[in-house]
Amino acid sequence: MSERPDLGTALREALPVYDASPSLQAWAREEARKLDQESLPERGAPVRPLRSRVWRLSQWPIAAGLVIAAAAGWGAGFLRPASRATSSANATTTQLVDAHVRSLLPGHLLDVESSDRHTVKPWFAGKTDIAPVVVDLSDKGFPLLGGRLDYVAGHTAAALAYGRRGHTINVFIWRTVPGEPSDGSFAVRGYSLLHWSNDGLSLWAVSDAALSELEAFRDAYVHP
Amino acid sequence: MRLVGHAGKALKVEHAERPVAQRFEGAVLPHLSAGLTLAMYLTGNKADAEDAVQEAVLRAVRYFSTLRDDDARAWFLTIVRRVCFTAYRTDRPQGTDMISIDAVGPQLVDNREQPDLAAERLHLQQRVRAAVDQLPPLLREAIVLRELQSCSYAEVAAVTEVPIGTVMSRLSRARARLADLLHDVVDFGDAI
Repeated sequence: MSERPDLGTALREALPVYDASPSLQAWAREEARKLDQESLPERGAPVRPLRSRVWRLSQWPIAAGLVIAAAAGWGAGFLRPASRATSSANATTTQLVDAHVRSLLPGHLLDVESSDRHTVKPWFAGKTDIAPVVVDLSDKGFPLLGGRLDYVAGHTAAALAYGRRGHTINVFIWRTVPGEPSDGSFAVRGYSLLHWSNDGLSLWAVSDAALSELEAFRDAYVHP
Repeated sequence: MRLVGHAGKALKVEHAERPVAQRFEGAVLPHLSAGLTLAMYLTGNKADAEDAVQEAVLRAVRYFSTLRDDDARAWFLTIVRRVCFTAYRTDRPQGTDMISIDAVGPQLVDNREQPDLAAERLHLQQRVRAAVDQLPPLLREAIVLRELQSCSYAEVAAVTEVPIGTVMSRLSRARARLADLLHDVVDFGDAI
């Protein structure tokens, strides 16, 4: 037996360290640019890198009705347990915004990518105990992009993604439980949230679009 | 790129905004790999670790203005660690859906060595990895930060958000557990 190494040496020789991939570094650099962009007027700001994929999606012909399998590894990320649920409106809205921002990461927005409600709605069956209303509202300016499962504020949520002039609106839907925030509008870190309830379901629309856009969206969604 | 007072107004506006992203790049991006390494040892698999680092970058961007002192590495690692502990289960029992770090580690063997020596080293490395794998997360992260990422006790304390005394105690418990498993192949000196 050769001489025994000390613990530090043994650990450093045995345990791998990992390098952030060039794509992760490039993505982080793009994220950092937002620090400069966000203080600029929104109108003049270039399309943000993370949103570019979403932006392209919203340009797709609505009739295409494409179903594309979500990138497996990324999609699975949403099925993992997330942080604990809290009952205060503050924590809920913060987590909703986190979930919205997370959904804009490359590959995170959609598990089922389709503008066809007949594709999206059945997709949720068996994956969640709720049957969300899925309508394509492209004639009202809110094209359906698709849906995914999400986990927000202690709820397994059905999430529907809609486009709005380059913005993305996420609608999170879960079964109402006692002690939830009352219906109304909220603003968190520059994002707008609109909450309403219907038929035992809690619905939250989240976007960086203006609150008035969300109200227009809710009206269109409730009375398609 | 630093712009001083005499530039035209338009230029000034454009460039005055610029250094925030540059400061972020300089302060945080060099530590992405350290963050990924910590996340690997906490989540046990690459997909979770990369997700955790991405989430940590988003939070770091959002809260960059709260970075006061100069230790950006400890600050970023703190965020990575919080993401790992809140969004991903780091307390999974071993052997369920956790990939052992054995499975992903490179094999650090010098080919110029004698075959039997090389085999011995490889075996030692496998045993060390398996032993670290078995440590509870709080002990594992202390050892990884201290021994692998060369953090000072103060940095380990900052990252794990506990007093230095707790860090010392965790490190000593971690070393004791490793000594139980590895005393025949690793020299633990008189410390244990």
